[in-house]
Amino acid sequence: MTTGANGRGNRLRATGRWLALAASVALVLPWWMIPVPLASFSPLVAACSALATWTVGFIVLLGVPVLVLVLLSPKWFCRYACPVGLLLELQGKLRPKTPLRWLRWPFICRWLALLTLGGACAGYPLFVWLDPLAIFNGFFSAWRTPLTVTSVCAGLALPVALLVDLLLPKVWCARICPLGGLQELLVLAGRRARQLLRHEHPDHNHPARLGRRIFLVTCIGAAAGALTRSVRGQMPPLRPPGALDETRFTGVCIRCGSCTRVCPTRILRPDMGEHGLARLLAPVVKFTEGYCRENCNRCGQACPSGAITRLSLAEKRLRVIGPAAVDLDLCLLANGQECTTCIRACPYEAIVMEETAGGLSAKPVVDLKKCTGCGACELSCPTTPRPAIFVLPKPGVLKPS
Amino acid sequence: MNTHMTRRKLFHILSAAGLGPAFASRVVADESGKGSKGKEQTLGSMLQSTSVENRPRHPAFIRDGKVIQPERPLPVFQETDVLVVGGGAAGWAAAVSAARAGAKTMIVERYGCFGGLWTGGIVLVVISTHTMENGQMTQVVRGIGGELLDRHAKFDNAIVNRGEAKFNPTTDPEATMFIMDEMIQEAKVKTIFHCWATDVIMDGGAVRGVVFDSKAGRQAILAKVVVDTTGDGDIFAAAGAEHEQRLHAMGLVHRLGNVDRADLAALKKAGYKTLGAIEPQPSVRWVNLRGPTANGLDINELTRLQFEHRRAIWERVQKMSKTPGGEQLFLLQTAPQIGVRTTRLLAGTHQLTYKESREPRKFPDTVAVGGAQNGKHAGWPIPYGVLLPKKLDGLLTAGRSISMDDKLVEDGRLIGACLTTGHAAGAAAAVAAKDGCRPRDVSIPKVQKLLREQGAYLG
Repeated sequence: MTTGANGRGNRLRATGRWLALAASVALVLPWWMIPVPLASFSPLVAACSALATWTVGFIVLLGVPVLVLVLLSPKWFCRYACPVGLLLELQGKLRPKTPLRWLRWPFICRWLALLTLGGACAGYPLFVWLDPLAIFNGFFSAWRTPLTVTSVCAGLALPVALLVDLLLPKVWCARICPLGGLQELLVLAGRRARQLLRHEHPDHNHPARLGRRIFLVTCIGAAAGALTRSVRGQMPPLRPPGALDETRFTGVCIRCGSCTRVCPTRILRPDMGEHGLARLLAPVVKFTEGYCRENCNRCGQACPSGAITRLSLAEKRLRVIGPAAVDLDLCLLANGQECTTCIRACPYEAIVMEETAGGLSAKPVVDLKKCTGCGACELSCPTTPRPAIFVLPKPGVLKPS
Repeated sequence: MNTHMTRRKLFHILSAAGLGPAFASRVVADESGKGSKGKEQTLGSMLQSTSVENRPRHPAFIRDGKVIQPERPLPVFQETDVLVVGGGAAGWAAAVSAARAGAKTMIVERYGCFGGLWTGGIVLVVISTHTMENGQMTQVVRGIGGELLDRHAKFDNAIVNRGEAKFNPTTDPEATMFIMDEMIQEAKVKTIFHCWATDVIMDGGAVRGVVFDSKAGRQAILAKVVVDTTGDGDIFAAAGAEHEQRLHAMGLVHRLGNVDRADLAALKKAGYKTLGAIEPQPSVRWVNLRGPTANGLDINELTRLQFEHRRAIWERVQKMSKTPGGEQLFLLQTAPQIGVRTTRLLAGTHQLTYKESREPRKFPDTVAVGGAQNGKHAGWPIPYGVLLPKKLDGLLTAGRSISMDDKLVEDGRLIGACLTTGHAAGAAAAVAAKDGCRPRDVSIPKVQKLLREQGAYLG
């Protein structure tokens, strides 16, 4: 290969990477709220999603082109597409050159990738949240939620990666990133396959022991995944409409924050471990500022991992976040006051006034055939310190009327 | 001698009326205490004042099986700039505002006090005086209504739940009536109580005044602008303005006495979750009653529910007073006025919708701002168009009959909104009367300026 061609190749590669970075940033800018499942382009996310949900849908198929490219060209994603990689590299150019002290470190990233895939088989992909597209997305998503410790933590992965890279140049990409690890595993697998095809003996780097180790680590991942799934708080939180059932949701969610980024009413917030460690940073629904709009299905459109199902508007309107329940001790109407706030706020006319005490008083009653748990009632309820009407975390599906 | 004669004469008359013994004791007691002369004269003049009325009579008669009321001239009781019909929260605020703006103002009220359902209906809580936005509380009932609430604070036990971070101020009805009297008299509004406006005086497409009935017979009042604050839209309906009619729950409020002597915990155990809503007097609670959906314009319905509710309340309190812990409770009163929530709604030049109120939509002709029902949302601007009939001239409405959709009725009928829309209608009527124009041609900036000068909040 001539230097000229090589130079042209480098230029092409640089242009591609810049374009990928620009496109990624444009797609995840918090105020644009484009419902795009960016992280689905990562084969790691796609593979974990397929393994954990046992479904192959739109988002899993998004990962296939990159997977093919990665199989054809070793570490293609790192070299041509990864926006985090480019950011780290740019940072590296600003910093004086230092010796790479970590070169003798083991390839942690491969084991992370295996543990994650193993965990995915058990329904909880352990380290998928370290995926570069997930942390990239998470950083931008954090800007949508009000500034709290939680929102800072949710966006912290990318700054941490940058910091790690500052202290130990290039270690993130080469030793930590599980997507890099997955690509390396694919390279190894390809080499082994070629050796087998040519009937060559495996070289000393790839004895049969490695296969056993891979199997073992995957099993450990599966066990750890299963274990993590079982460790959580008592009361599950409210999940976005169309979320997988609670046991699978926490595992499949890659904590990229895409749903919180595109939610127009900002009711989706990252969980700060109030509901157990396994649920950390997964999106929870809070009706403090808004309610789930009847003409919105963005969270499902934006979810790259399939934790929130992609639904049409009509399908989404039938998805129940949870049924609304009334605490009659707190309810103003039930205590003889003039209040119809929730009844009027309900966009589905699912709350009706029922006469009590022989018509002398009344109380609000929720029609569970209509209630989607959108939270409009909870948002509007004027009682303090907690609303008298609130959504319970029992998701379901309504029958179409 | 003379004394004896008069007393005997009095006894004769009183016993004929079956009231002899009651009055006898008083007269005797008064006589023994003071000199008898003054008392005697009072009693004498009381009797003599029953003079024979000398007004023209035009009784109805039956012709061809139909009851015919003959055509006849009506005496004009008074001519005025602004005539307010109905002295509820809205009408009272309208009258005070118009009079303060310098218009010759008159108010007609069918009962003997101001405040309507607030005082006469014992609905003591002033809902929607404030809004809540981003944790920020804003008072929207300012101006005339705000001054009224502020004046309560000068008295002990006249208002509760008022001030910092508190919603739904609740007043003592006697205090409210007293302060309303005071403010209307200070503003020099010509008031006639115990008069019921029954018809309108039309001049082409415009209302020129109303006909009212009273103990003094049927008379007329002529006005440049009429403000219909009857609540039921009696005046605009009589004038043929386009309107809608709604049914709503109709209840009757009552008050419990000796609440401070009741054992609330024991009553709670017996199933009485709450004894009612607090009011300034610590020993008294007012108890709301929702009631069935009914037509507030149907006199048979009104009568039936009056009977039914009074019986239900009596039985409830009887039962409570026989419950352990509730022995000391007693029924202090049932409200003089039955609780009609909604009847007629004007079809105004703008019909304000619930959706607009929650956006909330801004209007160039905002004349008032509605508050939050029980306090948890942003204020909603109220445009002048909700007070103004589509075609009818010479009239504005305010209070619970303004032009709004069904969902917004729940906000628009509340006392807070009545005070602010009433204030707006009064100010607009005064400007129209002063400028000699129709309410529909009134200069909105002028009205808004006047409202601001009178302390109103327009956002």
